[in-house]
Amino acid sequence: MTGKAKKLRRLIKSIWVFNWFNSCGFTELVPVVGSRWDMERFGMIVTGTPRHADVLFIAGYQTHKSIKRAKRIFEQMPEPRVVVALGACAMTGGMYWDSYNTIKRLEDYLPVNIYVPGCPPRPEAVFEACEKIFEHVLEMKDE
Amino acid sequence: MNELDLIDDFDLEFGVNAEKQRDRRVWVTVDREALMDVGRFLFDKGFEHLSAISVTDYLDEGVYELTYHLWSYSDNFLVTVKTKISRNKPAIDSVTPIWGESAQIHERELHELFGVTFEGNTDLAPLFLEDWDGPPPFRKDFDWRKYVKENYYDKENEREKHYFI
Repeated sequence: MTGKAKKLRRLIKSIWVFNWFNSCGFTELVPVVGSRWDMERFGMIVTGTPRHADVLFIAGYQTHKSIKRAKRIFEQMPEPRVVVALGACAMTGGMYWDSYNTIKRLEDYLPVNIYVPGCPPRPEAVFEACEKIFEHVLEMKDE
Repeated sequence: MNELDLIDDFDLEFGVNAEKQRDRRVWVTVDREALMDVGRFLFDKGFEHLSAISVTDYLDEGVYELTYHLWSYSDNFLVTVKTKISRNKPAIDSVTPIWGESAQIHERELHELFGVTFEGNTDLAPLFLEDWDGPPPFRKDFDWRKYVKENYYDKENEREKHYFI
Protein backbone atom coordinates (compact mmCIF):
# COMPACT_ATOMS: atom_id res chain seq x y z
CA MET A 1 0.00 0.00 0.00
CA THR A 2 1.40 3.37 -0.98
CA GLY A 3 2.00 6.05 1.56
CA LYS A 4 -0.78 8.13 0.18
CA ALA A 5 -3.31 5.34 0.28
CA LYS A 6 -2.26 4.55 3.80
CA LYS A 7 -2.76 8.10 4.88
CA LEU A 8 -6.00 8.36 3.02
CA ARG A 9 -7.23 5.27 4.74
CA ARG A 10 -6.22 6.62 8.09
CA LEU A 11 -7.46 10.12 7.60
CA ILE A 12 -10.17 10.44 5.07
CA LYS A 13 -12.32 7.47 4.53
CA SER A 14 -14.58 9.97 6.06
CA ILE A 15 -13.72 13.23 7.74
CA TRP A 16 -14.61 13.33 11.36
CA VAL A 17 -14.89 16.83 12.66
CA PHE A 18 -14.48 18.42 16.02
CA ASN A 19 -15.97 21.91 16.38
CA TRP A 20 -14.45 24.70 18.43
CA PHE A 21 -16.65 27.72 17.88
CA ASN A 22 -16.79 31.03 19.64
CA SER A 23 -19.59 33.58 19.41
CA CYS A 24 -21.64 33.25 16.21
CA GLY A 25 -19.33 30.56 14.77
CA PHE A 26 -21.64 27.60 15.05
CA THR A 27 -24.81 29.33 13.91
CA GLU A 28 -22.98 30.17 10.70
CA LEU A 29 -22.06 26.55 10.15
CA VAL A 30 -25.44 25.08 10.97
CA PRO A 31 -26.48 25.01 7.27
CA VAL A 32 -23.61 22.60 6.63
CA VAL A 33 -25.05 20.23 9.22
CA GLY A 34 -28.67 20.75 8.24
CA SER A 35 -30.63 18.85 5.62
CA ARG A 36 -30.07 21.13 2.63
CA TRP A 37 -26.29 20.82 2.44
CA ASP A 38 -26.07 17.86 4.78
CA MET A 39 -22.44 17.07 5.50
CA GLU A 40 -23.22 13.51 6.52
CA ARG A 41 -23.79 12.50 2.89
CA PHE A 42 -20.00 12.92 2.54
CA GLY A 43 -19.41 10.94 5.70
CA MET A 44 -18.54 13.99 7.74
CA ILE A 45 -19.61 13.57 11.31
CA VAL A 46 -19.22 15.85 14.29
CA THR A 47 -17.49 13.83 16.98
CA GLY A 48 -18.01 14.17 20.65
CA THR A 49 -14.35 14.16 21.50
CA PRO A 50 -11.22 15.50 19.82
CA ARG A 51 -9.57 12.08 20.24
CA HIS A 52 -11.74 10.72 17.43
CA ALA A 53 -11.45 13.72 15.15
CA ASP A 54 -9.41 14.24 12.00
CA VAL A 55 -10.29 17.84 11.40
CA LEU A 56 -10.66 20.73 13.82
CA PHE A 57 -13.11 23.38 12.69
CA ILE A 58 -12.33 26.62 14.42
CA ALA A 59 -14.58 29.63 13.92
CA GLY A 60 -15.49 32.88 15.55
CA TYR A 61 -13.05 35.26 17.18
CA GLN A 62 -10.63 33.57 19.53
CA THR A 63 -9.71 35.23 22.78
CA HIS A 64 -6.62 34.69 24.89
CA LYS A 65 -8.69 32.54 27.18
CA SER A 66 -10.35 30.41 24.52
CA ILE A 67 -7.20 29.85 22.49
CA LYS A 68 -5.66 27.96 25.39
CA ARG A 69 -8.57 25.56 25.34
CA ALA A 70 -8.33 25.30 21.56
CA LYS A 71 -4.67 24.32 21.88
CA ARG A 72 -5.50 21.62 24.39
CA ILE A 73 -8.15 20.27 22.05
CA PHE A 74 -5.71 20.31 19.16
CA GLU A 75 -3.08 18.45 21.17
CA GLN A 76 -5.54 15.67 21.93
CA MET A 77 -6.25 14.97 18.27
CA PRO A 78 -4.42 12.03 16.70
CA GLU A 79 -2.04 12.46 13.75
CA PRO A 80 -2.57 13.22 10.93
CA ARG A 81 -4.71 16.18 11.87
CA VAL A 82 -5.97 19.21 10.03
CA VAL A 83 -7.05 22.61 11.28
CA VAL A 84 -9.61 24.53 9.21
CA ALA A 85 -10.28 28.10 10.28
CA LEU A 86 -13.64 29.42 9.16
CA GLY A 87 -14.72 32.98 8.75
CA ALA A 88 -13.25 36.45 8.96
CA CYS A 89 -13.02 36.54 12.75
CA ALA A 90 -10.83 33.49 12.98
CA MET A 91 -8.56 34.87 10.25
CA THR A 92 -7.92 38.43 11.36
CA GLY A 93 -10.21 39.22 14.25
CA GLY A 94 -12.84 40.41 11.77
CA MET A 95 -14.97 43.19 13.18
CA TYR A 96 -13.03 42.79 16.44
CA TRP A 97 -9.76 43.74 14.76
CA ASP A 98 -9.15 46.49 17.34
CA SER A 99 -10.20 44.57 20.43
CA TYR A 100 -7.60 44.24 23.15
CA ASN A 101 -8.49 40.64 23.85
CA THR A 102 -8.91 38.80 20.56
CA ILE A 103 -6.35 36.80 18.62
CA LYS A 104 -5.33 38.52 15.41
CA ARG A 105 -3.09 35.85 13.92
CA LEU A 106 -4.41 32.38 14.55
CA GLU A 107 -1.38 30.83 12.86
CA ASP A 108 0.80 32.02 15.75
CA TYR A 109 -1.08 29.64 18.03
CA LEU A 110 -2.22 26.71 15.91
CA PRO A 111 -0.82 25.22 12.68
CA VAL A 112 -3.74 26.27 10.49
CA ASN A 113 -3.96 24.29 7.25
CA ILE A 114 -6.79 26.13 5.54
CA TYR A 115 -8.43 29.49 6.06
CA VAL A 116 -11.92 29.80 4.65
CA PRO A 117 -12.82 33.49 4.34
CA GLY A 118 -16.31 34.88 4.54
CA CYS A 119 -18.67 36.23 7.11
CA PRO A 120 -19.95 33.59 7.27
CA PRO A 121 -18.35 31.27 4.69
CA ARG A 122 -20.79 29.61 2.32
CA PRO A 123 -21.40 25.89 2.90
CA GLU A 124 -19.97 25.21 -0.56
CA ALA A 125 -16.73 26.87 0.52
CA VAL A 126 -16.56 24.66 3.59
CA PHE A 127 -17.01 21.55 1.47
CA GLU A 128 -14.37 22.75 -0.97
CA ALA A 129 -11.96 23.27 1.88
CA CYS A 130 -12.58 19.72 3.03
CA GLU A 131 -12.02 18.47 -0.50
CA LYS A 132 -8.67 20.26 -0.61
CA ILE A 133 -7.56 18.14 2.33
CA PHE A 134 -7.52 15.15 -0.04
CA GLU A 135 -5.28 16.95 -2.51
CA HIS A 136 -2.67 17.70 0.11
CA VAL A 137 -2.79 14.49 2.01
CA LEU A 138 0.75 13.48 1.06
CA GLU A 139 2.23 16.59 2.63
CA MET A 140 0.74 15.74 5.97
CA LYS A 141 2.77 14.46 8.84
CA ASP A 142 2.35 10.79 9.65
CA GLU A 143 3.29 9.24 12.96
CA MET B 1 -44.24 48.62 49.90
CA ASN B 2 -44.81 52.20 48.94
CA GLU B 3 -42.25 54.48 47.28
CA LEU B 4 -42.91 57.37 49.63
CA ASP B 5 -42.61 55.18 52.75
CA LEU B 6 -39.26 53.93 51.54
CA ILE B 7 -38.08 57.46 50.82
CA ASP B 8 -39.14 58.48 54.34
CA ASP B 9 -37.29 55.49 55.77
CA PHE B 10 -34.12 56.54 53.96
CA ASP B 11 -34.46 60.02 55.38
CA LEU B 12 -35.03 58.75 58.93
CA GLU B 13 -32.36 56.06 58.98
CA PHE B 14 -29.57 57.61 56.97
CA GLY B 15 -30.54 61.23 56.35
CA VAL B 16 -30.26 60.88 52.57
CA ASN B 17 -32.63 62.10 49.92
CA ALA B 18 -34.00 59.27 47.85
CA GLU B 19 -35.81 60.04 44.65
CA LYS B 20 -38.90 58.47 43.20
CA GLN B 21 -38.16 57.78 39.57
CA ARG B 22 -41.54 56.34 38.67
CA ASP B 23 -43.85 53.67 40.08
CA ARG B 24 -41.91 51.07 42.06
CA ARG B 25 -38.57 52.61 41.08
CA VAL B 26 -36.45 54.53 43.60
CA TRP B 27 -32.98 56.00 43.20
CA VAL B 28 -30.75 56.87 46.10
CA THR B 29 -27.20 58.21 46.35
CA VAL B 30 -25.25 57.37 49.50
CA ASP B 31 -21.74 57.83 50.86
CA ARG B 32 -19.39 54.91 50.43
CA GLU B 33 -19.12 54.52 54.21
CA ALA B 34 -22.88 54.06 54.50
CA LEU B 35 -23.13 51.52 51.70
CA MET B 36 -23.00 48.40 53.87
CA ASP B 37 -25.61 49.74 56.29
CA VAL B 38 -27.90 50.74 53.44
CA GLY B 39 -27.39 47.32 51.88
CA ARG B 40 -28.31 45.45 55.06
CA PHE B 41 -31.28 47.73 55.61
CA LEU B 42 -32.57 47.04 52.10
CA PHE B 43 -31.87 43.32 52.29
CA ASP B 44 -33.97 43.10 55.44
CA LYS B 45 -36.75 44.94 53.62
CA GLY B 46 -36.86 42.17 51.01
CA PHE B 47 -34.39 43.34 48.37
CA GLU B 48 -32.72 39.99 48.22
CA HIS B 49 -31.75 39.99 44.56
CA LEU B 50 -28.70 41.98 43.48
CA SER B 51 -29.30 42.04 39.75
CA ALA B 52 -26.24 44.03 38.75
CA ILE B 53 -23.37 46.18 39.88
CA SER B 54 -22.02 48.63 37.37
CA VAL B 55 -19.24 51.17 37.35
CA THR B 56 -19.36 54.46 35.46
CA ASP B 57 -16.08 56.19 34.84
CA TYR B 58 -16.27 59.99 35.17
CA LEU B 59 -12.89 60.99 33.87
CA ASP B 60 -13.28 64.76 34.34
CA GLU B 61 -14.41 64.51 37.96
CA GLY B 62 -11.92 61.77 38.78
CA VAL B 63 -14.54 59.46 40.26
CA TYR B 64 -16.05 56.08 39.65
CA GLU B 65 -19.76 55.84 40.29
CA LEU B 66 -20.88 52.42 41.46
CA THR B 67 -24.48 51.50 40.86
CA TYR B 68 -26.19 48.63 42.66
CA HIS B 69 -29.50 47.45 41.26
CA LEU B 70 -31.58 45.73 43.92
CA TRP B 71 -34.78 43.86 43.23
CA SER B 72 -37.46 42.74 45.58
CA TYR B 73 -39.37 39.67 44.41
CA SER B 74 -42.13 40.11 46.95
CA ASP B 75 -42.92 43.71 46.00
CA ASN B 76 -41.68 43.82 42.39
CA PHE B 77 -39.70 46.86 43.35
CA LEU B 78 -36.35 48.15 42.12
CA VAL B 79 -34.01 50.29 44.20
CA THR B 80 -30.91 51.73 42.59
CA VAL B 81 -28.17 52.63 45.06
CA LYS B 82 -25.36 54.81 43.82
CA THR B 83 -22.10 55.70 45.48
CA LYS B 84 -18.96 57.47 44.38
CA ILE B 85 -15.36 56.45 44.95
CA SER B 86 -12.05 57.89 43.89
CA ARG B 87 -10.84 56.72 40.53
CA ASN B 88 -7.15 56.84 41.38
CA LYS B 89 -7.25 54.26 44.16
CA PRO B 90 -10.64 52.66 43.65
CA ALA B 91 -11.52 50.58 46.69
CA ILE B 92 -14.79 49.85 48.42
CA ASP B 93 -16.23 47.32 50.86
CA SER B 94 -17.46 44.15 49.26
CA VAL B 95 -21.17 43.42 49.54
CA THR B 96 -20.59 39.65 49.49
CA PRO B 97 -21.50 39.38 53.22
CA ILE B 98 -25.00 40.53 52.24
CA TRP B 99 -25.71 39.10 48.79
CA GLY B 100 -23.16 36.33 48.67
CA GLU B 101 -22.28 34.59 45.42
CA SER B 102 -24.22 36.87 43.10
CA ALA B 103 -22.26 39.85 44.36
CA GLN B 104 -19.03 37.89 44.16
CA ILE B 105 -19.12 37.34 40.41
CA HIS B 106 -20.11 40.95 39.64
CA GLU B 107 -17.30 42.28 41.79
CA ARG B 108 -14.82 39.92 40.22
CA GLU B 109 -15.72 41.22 36.78
CA LEU B 110 -15.53 44.86 37.83
CA HIS B 111 -12.18 44.27 39.45
CA GLU B 112 -10.94 42.96 36.15
CA LEU B 113 -12.43 45.62 33.90
CA PHE B 114 -12.09 48.74 36.07
CA GLY B 115 -9.49 47.80 38.67
CA VAL B 116 -11.84 48.39 41.60
CA THR B 117 -10.69 46.57 44.74
CA PHE B 118 -13.57 45.11 46.70
CA GLU B 119 -12.28 44.69 50.23
CA GLY B 120 -13.56 41.48 51.71
CA ASN B 121 -14.14 39.64 48.45
CA THR B 122 -12.08 36.46 48.63
CA ASP B 123 -11.73 35.71 44.92
CA LEU B 124 -10.92 38.55 42.56
CA ALA B 125 -9.04 36.41 40.05
CA PRO B 126 -9.34 37.40 36.37
CA LEU B 127 -12.55 36.19 34.81
CA PHE B 128 -12.12 36.68 31.06
CA LEU B 129 -8.74 38.35 30.77
CA GLU B 130 -6.28 35.59 31.58
CA ASP B 131 -2.64 36.71 31.34
CA TRP B 132 -3.64 40.34 30.99
CA ASP B 133 -0.86 42.76 31.92
CA GLY B 134 -2.23 46.05 30.58
CA PRO B 135 -4.27 48.61 32.53
CA PRO B 136 -7.91 47.82 33.34
CA PRO B 137 -9.40 47.97 29.85
CA PHE B 138 -12.69 49.73 30.59
CA ARG B 139 -11.07 52.84 32.03
CA LYS B 140 -11.79 55.79 29.80
CA ASP B 141 -8.16 56.83 29.58
CA PHE B 142 -7.14 53.44 28.21
CA ASP B 143 -6.59 53.87 24.49
CA TRP B 144 -7.33 50.35 23.33
CA ARG B 145 -6.76 51.06 19.66
CA LYS B 146 -3.25 52.30 20.41
CA TYR B 147 -2.66 49.31 22.68
CA VAL B 148 -3.76 46.90 19.96
CA LYS B 149 -1.53 48.50 17.36
CA GLU B 150 1.47 48.30 19.65
CA ASN B 151 0.88 44.78 20.88
CA TYR B 152 -0.74 42.88 18.03
CA TYR B 153 0.12 44.43 14.69
CA ASP B 154 3.28 44.80 12.72
CA LYS B 155 3.64 47.80 10.41
CA GLU B 156 5.93 45.87 8.08
CA ASN B 157 3.53 42.96 7.68
CA GLU B 158 1.81 43.10 4.30
CA ARG B 159 -1.44 41.82 5.72
CA GLU B 160 -1.52 44.28 8.61
CA LYS B 161 0.01 47.50 7.37
CA HIS B 162 -3.33 49.01 6.39
CA TYR B 163 -4.32 49.19 10.06
CA PHE B 164 -1.75 51.97 10.46
CA ILE B 165 -2.99 54.26 7.69
